[in-house]
Amino acid sequence: MAVIYRVNMTDLSVRSEAPGPGYLETGGRGLTSALIAAEVRPTCHPLSPENKLVIAPGVLTGTGAPCSGRLSVGAKSPLTGTIKESNSGGMGAIAMATLGIRAIILEGKPADRGLYRLIVNTEGIQIEPADELAGLGNYETVGRQYEEFGDKVSCLSIGQAGEMGAAAASIAVTDVEGRPTRHCGRGGLGAVMGSKGVKVIVIDPRGGHRPKPADVEAFKRGAQKFQEILKGHPLTGEGLPTYGTNALANVINQAGAYPTRNFSQGQFEGTEAISGEHQHDVILERGGEIAHACHRGCTIKCSRIYVDENGQYVTKGPEYETIWAHGADCGIDDLDAIARMDRLDDDFGLDTIETGATIGVAMEAGIIPFGDAEGAIGLLEEVGRGTPLGRLVASGAEVLGKAYGVSRIPTVKGQSMPAYDPRAVQGIGVTYATSTMGADHTAGYSIAANVLGVGGTVDPLKPEGQVELSRNLQIATASIDASGLCLFVAFAVLDKPEAMDAICDMFSGLLGREFTADDYLALGKATLAREREFNRAAGFTAADDRLPDFFKTEKLAPHGATFTVSDEELDTVYNFVGE
Amino acid sequence: MPRVQVNLYATLRRYVGGAPSVEVEIDPGRTIEAVLAGLGVPTDQTRILFLNNRAANLSDTLKDGDQLGVFPALGGG
Ligand code: SF4
Repeated sequence: MAVIYRVNMTDLSVRSEAPGPGYLETGGRGLTSALIAAEVRPTCHPLSPENKLVIAPGVLTGTGAPCSGRLSVGAKSPLTGTIKESNSGGMGAIAMATLGIRAIILEGKPADRGLYRLIVNTEGIQIEPADELAGLGNYETVGRQYEEFGDKVSCLSIGQAGEMGAAAASIAVTDVEGRPTRHCGRGGLGAVMGSKGVKVIVIDPRGGHRPKPADVEAFKRGAQKFQEILKGHPLTGEGLPTYGTNALANVINQAGAYPTRNFSQGQFEGTEAISGEHQHDVILERGGEIAHACHRGCTIKCSRIYVDENGQYVTKGPEYETIWAHGADCGIDDLDAIARMDRLDDDFGLDTIETGATIGVAMEAGIIPFGDAEGAIGLLEEVGRGTPLGRLVASGAEVLGKAYGVSRIPTVKGQSMPAYDPRAVQGIGVTYATSTMGADHTAGYSIAANVLGVGGTVDPLKPEGQVELSRNLQIATASIDASGLCLFVAFAVLDKPEAMDAICDMFSGLLGREFTADDYLALGKATLAREREFNRAAGFTAADDRLPDFFKTEKLAPHGATFTVSDEELDTVYNFVGE
Repeated sequence: MPRVQVNLYATLRRYVGGAPSVEVEIDPGRTIEAVLAGLGVPTDQTRILFLNNRAANLSDTLKDGDQLGVFPALGGG
């Protein structure tokens, strides 16, 4: 039986309810955004008792559909002030789905400012005091849970940053090995969890059952077809497993779109040393692991395990965005130093993109010089100690940049841009500017058609066609984010129309009714419309759907490009709402 | 003789003994396709092409000093 749990952290009570009719056929971001839009007052303070944190697996999660173990967490964001959904791999979503849980909603705020843990199992949810976990990093926090509960559980947790209420705080999700390496990174949702006094959620799926499709055979046919397509596609079948997401470093650098030294250049001279190719060789030489799956049932396996010179585990990946943020954006070309920062981010519970970009701004401010890897690690360690400077680092690029009088701050709606300069890839600029999430690449990954030749070709340096490209991708992405499928399946879906049929077959088999591509896209459109309305009611206007001015005035080498999509065009991205 | 620099990435490096970059002498007006064929890089595996940091096609012709970036199907994010 599908269930939604409400955990009231004000009176420490738990209620379960059956999902309403509108909530049964959606999940992931579709469900988190629907619940936040319906239940959270848009103008409330994100760290007040009125905000809610909604945790939801996708529609297909736990069914055995390939790459379907994504977890969505939603709230009003302390970083952006907008509605927010941040999603992550790891094993948490599958554990929730196995227990039949469609969503866990954290509400209220403990009056005693105490710290608690939630134990989720077949009995329901128990709230227990956990003050002894105060001030611990994610590794120690989840390590203690595994000692107590064994290796079958999954954990969602916050580190020091979340406890501090820092706007760059993430929520860690444990991976297949039980390490807190997967993060709902963006938007400071770790601070919302911290404000509710929840340090860790231990999900014990033992005794639960996989969601059973209404039509098992139809579901299986779709899943089988989908798996074959993912395996057969050169990107999801070979490129991503072999080189990981960081294969992009050289591609984006070649395109002149690799933001370097706080978005002041489009190419980094140290790219080869931090590239996916080099990372691949280092990992294999040292006995690490490539083609690693962040959750069971992922067939793409873009993750990897990074080890030091002695073959000792350091961290996962690191991923493309992380290596860029702590690397090129800071002028750092030392992969081992970057891996250490990834580990610290994961432990303190920080969004690696926001944190790297913030250190880039700190370098621009002259706190430490560009290229200073040890200085960057030192800045990060300040977060763990909770010093005033550490708190600034954990508050994101915009806050730190303002505190130090920096004029080049690469944010939209307070959130740092990821690893693509919008002057050299104009389509991603449209997504950064207009996404309901603030500057977010995953919200509408125009890089596919602008650079990678996937899903068509749109010249990245011209304004023409970018709005339509971004709009279509934002809709398709909101649909994927409801499904629980990893966004990386989109590379195959954009190339092979049969993949869309396979997804519809899986939905149809699961739900026991015909589910079409139109139904699928309607899920995404409805989600975007709700999110957009929430933001409007929270006070956001067209003036917020803009890039920082320097992208229009400072030319980016090597193309001498500025961002040229007009404001009028940006304002048409959401013209499908209300159609 | 005009020379061009061919930068190969990911799985394509296996066709040039693992080297990230090779310099090639060309006859003027050679196409990217011909240069790659000369190196033994199968063009059915090349998906993303850059000529001097701009997107290029296999049929584009090359001149002295050109820089090529050649990738298989890649993605991430
Ligand atoms: S493709 Fe990568 S991020 Fe996506 S589910 Fe698989 S391992 Fe995780």
